[in-house]
Amino acid sequence: MLIRDLMNFGARPALTEAQSFAAGRHRLIINNIANMQTPNYQQQDVSVPGFQKALREAVDRRRESAQGSDNGVFEMPETRELVKGPRGFSTLNPRTDGQGILYHDRNNRDMERLMQNLAENGLQFRFATDVLRQQGELLRAAIGQRA
Amino acid sequence: MYGLLEISTSGMIAQRTRLSAISANVANRHSVNADGTPYRAKMVFFEPGDASATTAEGRKYGVHVARIEDDPTPFNLRWDPGDPRALKSGPNAGYVQESNVNPVLEQVNAIQATRAYEANAVAAEATKVMIQQALRLLG
Repeated sequence: MLIRDLMNFGARPALTEAQSFAAGRHRLIINNIANMQTPNYQQQDVSVPGFQKALREAVDRRRESAQGSDNGVFEMPETRELVKGPRGFSTLNPRTDGQGILYHDRNNRDMERLMQNLAENGLQFRFATDVLRQQGELLRAAIGQRA
Repeated sequence: MYGLLEISTSGMIAQRTRLSAISANVANRHSVNADGTPYRAKMVFFEPGDASATTAEGRKYGVHVARIEDDPTPFNLRWDPGDPRALKSGPNAGYVQESNVNPVLEQVNAIQATRAYEANAVAAEATKVMIQQALRLLG
């Protein structure tokens, strides 16, 4: 019970979900880069605002269910792009939007946008990981003082 | 998460193969096959997925070289009736058939392949940084 409460404390579940989303999206982005010159390949992605909206809903619902405590039930809503995975985290169901210029090989690559997404997504992952690490250090410090 | 690196690696391997084909095309621009026909330019075709990857993630994503085919465009013709290889009859009599390698096109393709290789290398570097950050969570 104590360990479960520690893992579900404060912003931790939302950060873990954000980290998992960034890792999944990173896979899609680098796959798009690898297939930049594959004929007929259509770029795949998931909506970041869509994820943020779902995360906001989950945080709001958790706040309502917590009733004053810090450990409410955190559950991400399922959308067309976010499906609950076997380990409880959302797994990504990417879309091929078909946007962008279609090249003569019927590939809709967009190098600049891909690199922008790669950098932005990397920063999102880093933010979630750094805050999670800080929380872990806080917990470690608290446990150390008690020992 | 280690499977992520395989995706970028497959991209680099595919682009390197393409660059090898381009190099072979440029090097063999004036080559003649054993049967006397000029060298035909090679074209590399990619397909999504990488069966050679060691992880399920790597096999599902990534890219691989599906096939390498000869360029079917006609050979270039050079007017040289004195050459023993010159065509003896037909509308192109007096012309010598030469390889259909287009050096300008090969140059453009080489630049494209190099840039794509670099993009995959940058993606692999970003993946490495993410893995390092995740590992730092362990303390």
